Amino acid sequence: MAAADNTSAALRRRDLCSRGIRLAGKMRSDVVDLLDTYVERQGLDASASVAAVEGVPVAAVERWDEQTGTQRLLENLAAYRAFRALLAQMLEEQQEQLGEADTTLGQALAAVLLQVSAFTYHLEELLRLESRGPPSEEGPEPPPAPHLSLFERKLRGLGVLRELAQWAVRSTRDLRQLAKPNPGSSSAASLAESP
Amino acid sequence: DSHIQYERVGADVTMKCGSMDWDAAVTWTVNGTDIDASHLNGSYLILKKVDLTQSGQYSCYEGSSWHLKYQTYLRVGTPPKEPLLMCRSNNYPKGFYCSWHLPTPTYIPNSFNISVIHGTREMVCEKDVFPKNRCHIRYLQLFSTVKYKVTLTVTNALGKNSTTATFDEFAIVKPDPPESVVAKPVPNNPRRLEVSWQNPSSWPDPESFPLKFFLRYRPLILDQWQHVELSDGTSHTITDAYAGKEYIIQVAAKDNDIGTWSDWSVAVHATPWTEEPKHLTTEAQVTETTSASTSSFMPPPTTKICDKGAVVGSGAVAVCWTAGLVLAAYGILFI
Repeated sequence: MAAADNTSAALRRRDLCSRGIRLAGKMRSDVVDLLDTYVERQGLDASASVAAVEGVPVAAVERWDEQTGTQRLLENLAAYRAFRALLAQMLEEQQEQLGEADTTLGQALAAVLLQVSAFTYHLEELLRLESRGPPSEEGPEPPPAPHLSLFERKLRGLGVLRELAQWAVRSTRDLRQLAKPNPGSSSAASLAESP
Repeated sequence: DSHIQYERVGADVTMKCGSMDWDAAVTWTVNGTDIDASHLNGSYLILKKVDLTQSGQYSCYEGSSWHLKYQTYLRVGTPPKEPLLMCRSNNYPKGFYCSWHLPTPTYIPNSFNISVIHGTREMVCEKDVFPKNRCHIRYLQLFSTVKYKVTLTVTNALGKNSTTATFDEFAIVKPDPPESVVAKPVPNNPRRLEVSWQNPSSWPDPESFPLKFFLRYRPLILDQWQHVELSDGTSHTITDAYAGKEYIIQVAAKDNDIGTWSDWSVAVHATPWTEEPKHLTTEAQVTETTSASTSSFMPPPTTKICDKGAVVGSGAVAVCWTAGLVLAAYGILFI
């Protein structure tokens, strides 16, 4: 029956959203800790400004409150898929650079990578519920990482982690919007515009 | 023609009487009062190391004709010190405001100019009508890692100064304290207090941007606070209150994910429910029946003094006891 399906889909969506919110919260907390470890182990200045790096999904968004539910899910999914690849790359570079010498950073990176993967899967599930289905992963291989000096790679890593921390907060907010009774998947749900 | 002249505290000021020659005979006045000739050098008025009290209207009159030759309004003040600037978002995600003030007054008019830069973009900070040392900005982007840079410049006739604040979008988020905090005793529960509050009205969307809360409470007689952090809901029942003791309770709020805690709310006071002292009522009834049969003296009913509404804390219980004993003694005397 359509009505029963709607109810069970709504319940499933609410359940996925609240679990997703908890996942995102834990992920953010771990990324913030990882940032501290990363800055320390890589000998960086925590307040260093990092220019926007190519290939790193930027969390900043205009008119966030006007996004539809589907838009939110698609943008989140694209971002976390990119982070999954970036973190895997960082892990590889880190192992090359430091070998087995520093496992703390390696373990922390691996733990966050695992959470990013789990969250990506979670987003794919939510998109399936939207009866839209997640888009397939990029067909062609992403372009190889540009050749950067060791220092540039460290700074890039800092940029990746900082954006990921912002994304984790944004995702929490996005999922809360989605969990609302009428998230407006086909029309924009906007907040009152009064200053 | 009169005009305004601004001078620094401690400066030496020389005023010329318009186009009059140095050796012309003139009279200077300040706020209508003649100035002693000892302050004159020819027709020039010399004021050494001026202080704030010397602000006023200075006029120069030609000696014999008393024609007004020159007039100026002297305002003594100081150039501005570095202003104090504070930016905060109490209405996330709508925007934030910046407010400022000078650490010490300048005693002369100041003008303020504020610039807000986000990356390469210059943003407009709309000045508030009241208070006037405040302006607000609407967020154009959310979740940005790019810092905001706010520069405030204060200028007056004697100089200028400025200060800059740089911050992240998340760092300045600080809600207003919770509102309408209410604490009530729970009937038949001598160790409980029910506390409830509301989200601050300035927080625009508590559903999408929920707040978490921090409750603190202590009996008035102790200095140590008890703390409870609550991740949702706008009420809490304290279950470990000391019986009969008056409590002071406050609540603070914070966005669930970012920023800092609000200031503490207005404090509320409450005392847990206490049982009505039944044994005193029985004694008074016995006393009343006895004295009624032997004399016209009628002790006032004990229950009035020990009315539960008036009881606050353990002190009042002692009063009830004493009143009961005194009345019992009187009753016995009259038998």
